[in-house]
Amino acid sequence: MEASAISHAEHHGPPPAHRSSRVEAPLLGMLLFIISEVMIFGAFFTAYFFIRVVNHNPWPAPGTTLPEAVAGVNTAILLSSSLTLHWSLVSVKSGNRFGLKAGIASTFLLGLTFLFVQINEYVHIGFAPYQSAQASIFYGLTGLHGAHVFIGLCLLLMVTIRAFRGHYSPESHRGMEVPGIYWHFVDIMWVVVYTTVYVL
Amino acid sequence: MLIKLRAPGWYRAALFDVIGFAFAFGLVVLIRTLMHEHPVLDGYAITTVALIAVPLFFLVGLGVADYWFYWAAGKRTRPEDHSAHGARTWRDYFRVNTDHKVIGIQYVVTSFFFLLIGGLLAMLMRAELAQPGMQFVTPEQYNGLFSVHASLLIFLFVIPVFAGLANFVLPLMIGAPDMAFPRLNALSFWLLPIAGLMMLASFLAPGGSFASGWTAYAPLSTSLPLGQTFFTLAVQFAGASSIATALNFLVTIITMRAPGMSFFRMPLLVWANFSTSLLVVIATPFIAASQFFVLLDRALGFQFFNAFVGAGKNGNVIMYQHVFWFYSHPAVYIMMLPGFGIISEVLAVKARKPIFGYRMMAFSLLAIVVLGFTVWAHHMFVSGMAPWIRIPMMVTTAIIAIPTGIKVFSWLATLWRGVLRLDTPMLFALGFLTMFTLGGISGVMLAMIPFDIHVSATYFIVAHIHYVLFGGSLFTIFAGVYYWFPKMTGRMFDDRLGKLHFWLTFIFFNITFGPMHLIGIQGMPRRVADYAQQFATWNLIISLASFGLGLSTLVFLYNMVASWRGGPRAAANPWRALTLEWQVSSPPPIFNFDAVPTVVGGPYEYGVPGAVHGIFKSPAEARPTGTIATSPTPE
Repeated sequence: MEASAISHAEHHGPPPAHRSSRVEAPLLGMLLFIISEVMIFGAFFTAYFFIRVVNHNPWPAPGTTLPEAVAGVNTAILLSSSLTLHWSLVSVKSGNRFGLKAGIASTFLLGLTFLFVQINEYVHIGFAPYQSAQASIFYGLTGLHGAHVFIGLCLLLMVTIRAFRGHYSPESHRGMEVPGIYWHFVDIMWVVVYTTVYVL
Repeated sequence: MLIKLRAPGWYRAALFDVIGFAFAFGLVVLIRTLMHEHPVLDGYAITTVALIAVPLFFLVGLGVADYWFYWAAGKRTRPEDHSAHGARTWRDYFRVNTDHKVIGIQYVVTSFFFLLIGGLLAMLMRAELAQPGMQFVTPEQYNGLFSVHASLLIFLFVIPVFAGLANFVLPLMIGAPDMAFPRLNALSFWLLPIAGLMMLASFLAPGGSFASGWTAYAPLSTSLPLGQTFFTLAVQFAGASSIATALNFLVTIITMRAPGMSFFRMPLLVWANFSTSLLVVIATPFIAASQFFVLLDRALGFQFFNAFVGAGKNGNVIMYQHVFWFYSHPAVYIMMLPGFGIISEVLAVKARKPIFGYRMMAFSLLAIVVLGFTVWAHHMFVSGMAPWIRIPMMVTTAIIAIPTGIKVFSWLATLWRGVLRLDTPMLFALGFLTMFTLGGISGVMLAMIPFDIHVSATYFIVAHIHYVLFGGSLFTIFAGVYYWFPKMTGRMFDDRLGKLHFWLTFIFFNITFGPMHLIGIQGMPRRVADYAQQFATWNLIISLASFGLGLSTLVFLYNMVASWRGGPRAAANPWRALTLEWQVSSPPPIFNFDAVPTVVGGPYEYGVPGAVHGIFKSPAEARPTGTIATSPTPE
């Protein structure tokens, strides 16, 4: 057809792609990535299921205790970071730069606190992953979640730097909205991990 | 020199490799000192950490992440000037490139490189098996050979080569100027050679390469020497690559279709990759997790699979198989559905007929996606899991043959009274139809619990997997490579050599793998380097045929290389196809289209007078005025 007759030299860039969906590409990409992440947690919960339920192992392993209270406080810390993140997003949409910066910085600091408490918990918990399969599952699930908190913190750090450097506006804030979705996912996943590992 | 070391490229990548190794070394020494471990220098630990750190440093050095670093630091990002699009010399294929056409060719060539290596390993195995007794390798080395053979061909050939073909073709087919995330696309390609080289490098590890098969069942894989770690980590890189590509395909298909390209006007190759990508995004994390478990058991002494810890039996061995097969059964469809798409394209074009049952073809793909998650434990009938699980798994496995059967019969109906053009792509497509049907039938046989118990871990399994993966997937890959070769390279291949390649492959393939059904039913065990005297004759025949099969690949290679260098120039649309990728020049323009085309009809209206799929006009101009004959779509 016609296009084949036109030489390469006349191009100066690709034509704009047709938008065939109302969903924005970065948003859809992040949602699909989160599906993947849910599945990797699902695989770890499968291991939990087999070792705790199928094998009828006592939980936690005999002679060990899990610090439900400390982890409960930590849960509150992580959940409040979701609230500050939302505040930050609402602020940027209404053009409130102080709210944007304060919200994103406090989100980052709350996440960092969570990770610090988690590591401190490992140091003082009194058992090591190699002592029993239950201990392996405990460290596996909380460690996997901790790794996700770390990734989320890296993303939040980028957003924080960019926010303080004057990026984002009421019209353009996808760069903080998409990492924010990831952070909310990390928070919700923690509630599931906390419930299954510590509470049940 | 300093400038070269600072600019993204191979010099900086080499420098970063050294830094990455130093980082791994330092990290291990630091942690082991802090934890009071002795000795502080532990080669096993350093290798494990280096296998993670060095590839990541390599990628950063090569420059896949430069843009992201600028973005993350809040610096001014250079707006995409598209100067990196297209490849002017062969050297451009060795650089980070964000053009989906370049990445597609990088993918295809890399995976064919690993096909050749994997094939050579198979030749070594067949040389050893030509006679009973031990001739060339030790039993341990033999275990390594079949493990690396299978892992390379599954993770580095069949899965990525489909991603490569689709990378090249799919954006063109849906009228998109590129993939949705071009930089992620480049990253997902560069993860691949890392995974492949890591698997090959395991041969250099003390204790030899990984030797637990591509399935790497725990606790065997948690107790083998260092080579196993190479597999465990290589799978992570290959898996990350396929998840990133799949995500990219899904977003591209959903958000970047040309105007008028509704879901039911998409070519079936697009449907096939849509379904495959769904499978990859949902299932691949499970194999990642299974290898994380093995890695944690191996490197940090976790007890996921140790059933004899402490007072009771705490770890669970069957859990590995459940998690592994929850990925790896969907993975067989990841390795097959894109091939279904290729066959639908080739058959419709070469039979000059609309594809039969277009909508059922699309729906059966989605049915396979859903059912693919319900059959995993049919790989575990003899594993010792709860016996009742076998019954539902047998039933679902039989049911999943139905959508596959719908596809096979639809292809046959497409051929019915068509004007068949028996050139090389079509021969491979027809070869696929027959061979894959045979493999599918032995698959349904294997679904039956009593039969499966009888032939478990015999050569019947080897025959089945090669009929579906070689006669199935590889034949579709050959069909696809020949079919799109003119579009990718701008040159025509030699059809006579192509036909020779097909017939050599087809005949030697059947002599190689057909008899394996017989010796399998008689009880010859797979994955064993030696066998009983009674199987000697068949094994000699199989080995000789397999060497013929290996040699037939040389015909293919010669044809590809010679045609790419000096073949006759290809026309824009040598097959008279309707889909959009054939409506642009061969090879396609750097930016695919001047303006995004408008789709006005279905993709397979062959033989319908005046049928048009897409036209290069805006949607307003493309409205029928009464003079243009557009075909009515059955919607």
